[in-house]
Amino acid sequence: MANSANTNTVPKLYRSVIEDVINDVRDIFLDDGVDEQVLMELKTLLPRCLGICGWHSLWENKLMQSRAVDGFHSEEQQLLLQVQQQHQPQQQQHHHHHHHQQAQPQQTVPQQAQTQQVLIPASQQATAPQVIVPDSKLIQHMNASNMSAAATAATLALPAGVTPVQQILTNSGQLLQVVRAANGAQYIFQPQQSVVLQQQVIPQMQPGGVQAPVIQQVLAPLPGGISPQTGVIIQPQQILFTGNKTQVIPTTVAAPTPAQAQITATGQQQPQAQPAQTQAPLVLQVDGTGDTSSEEDEDEEEDYDDDEEEDKEKDGAEDGQVEEEPLNSEDDVSDEEGQELFDTENVVVCQYDKIHRSKNKWKFHLKDGIMNLNGRDYIFSKAIGDAEW
Amino acid sequence: MAYQLYRNTTLGNSLQESLDELIQSQQITPQLALQVLLQFDKAINAALAQRVRNRVNFRGSLNTYRFCDNVWTFVLNYVEFREVTELIKVDKVKIVACDGKNTGSNTTE
Repeated sequence: MANSANTNTVPKLYRSVIEDVINDVRDIFLDDGVDEQVLMELKTLLPRCLGICGWHSLWENKLMQSRAVDGFHSEEQQLLLQVQQQHQPQQQQHHHHHHHQQAQPQQTVPQQAQTQQVLIPASQQATAPQVIVPDSKLIQHMNASNMSAAATAATLALPAGVTPVQQILTNSGQLLQVVRAANGAQYIFQPQQSVVLQQQVIPQMQPGGVQAPVIQQVLAPLPGGISPQTGVIIQPQQILFTGNKTQVIPTTVAAPTPAQAQITATGQQQPQAQPAQTQAPLVLQVDGTGDTSSEEDEDEEEDYDDDEEEDKEKDGAEDGQVEEEPLNSEDDVSDEEGQELFDTENVVVCQYDKIHRSKNKWKFHLKDGIMNLNGRDYIFSKAIGDAEW
Repeated sequence: MAYQLYRNTTLGNSLQESLDELIQSQQITPQLALQVLLQFDKAINAALAQRVRNRVNFRGSLNTYRFCDNVWTFVLNYVEFREVTELIKVDKVKIVACDGKNTGSNTTE
């Protein structure tokens, strides 16, 4: 078969990846106290799901061959499951307690993973008065400022027993203060002009074996109204084609607060309303060329096809729409977003080495990709493509 | 950290579905499933980098392009993918590509 190469390599690769994952995960499963049986179940679930996902070609053959074996295993598993069900309720109770206690600290741990990376070098250099710390993503929105007011407010807010203060100078020149509390937990201050501070505590095991509590406090919000914690949304430019005229609605940079979002939304709506209104006195005809109200209107109407398109479509049933249709149908070039939302969308997931553009000629240098085309999977280590925009 | 890019593939989706089934039947915790997915990311990234050695060419017309957060997203129309062995034609394809230069700086979801 001509396509034997890919149909051989793809399932082989998938199998090897499944094997690797199962083996690597076995330790994690055992650490978590989960039975090996569950691991085996995952292992057999995977090929079945692959089959369901429409990956037919080779899997059907494999399933046919191994159906006897699979059937045997599934029966075994059912018997084992019945036996296990007697033991599982008892185990699950222990698991739930265990996991519940771990749930809360673990939830904040990922958030603080970045701070851990920042602080670990800090803690190791405890004696140095200044520590250079690589810019972390925590400090994206920081403004350089004096420590005085903010710091004193924060230090007052700290629980008692907080002693020496370390100053950390990041690459960007921002000043952090690391305060080491008596219980060994470290607090970081991120001074800002507006009085917002973030305190993040890294849990550390004390000699007594008690974990320091995980605290994440964010002090009071700003007077400025723009919260630096949230990201900045740049509203895309909107270009209105109003016949021969184009109006560009300027980009607005706004924080994602509801008030501002409403403002930008209404701001965008207003310019849209205005062109329609300014054109209204010029274009009276809205209902097709058959209307004999005035000839002037017809000429002006043709200039503003795009805007009046919706109105024309509504009046399509009326007379004299024949000449309008060709004009209408060519105008709409943009695709609907809905077209992208159907099942078998052909997707390529990969990494890019180089993307090059010259005028409207694009060249793609891609690598390590998995493609799903026409329902089938393909893999490449390198892909080179050309396209014209 | 390996890219989580490959989770939305046949293999990745089937893994996520399998894990969801196990979570539903309370055989594993969501935390454990997350660990499995992280391990899958590493495994698939390594496998693609090392075990695959083939080339594909393609040509088509570019409908849209987007570059955001160092991720390119293209939508191409009427594309022909050409491998040594076969030719594949599609009317529409979406390409999502992460930066291939430094594969260690992806943020977690």
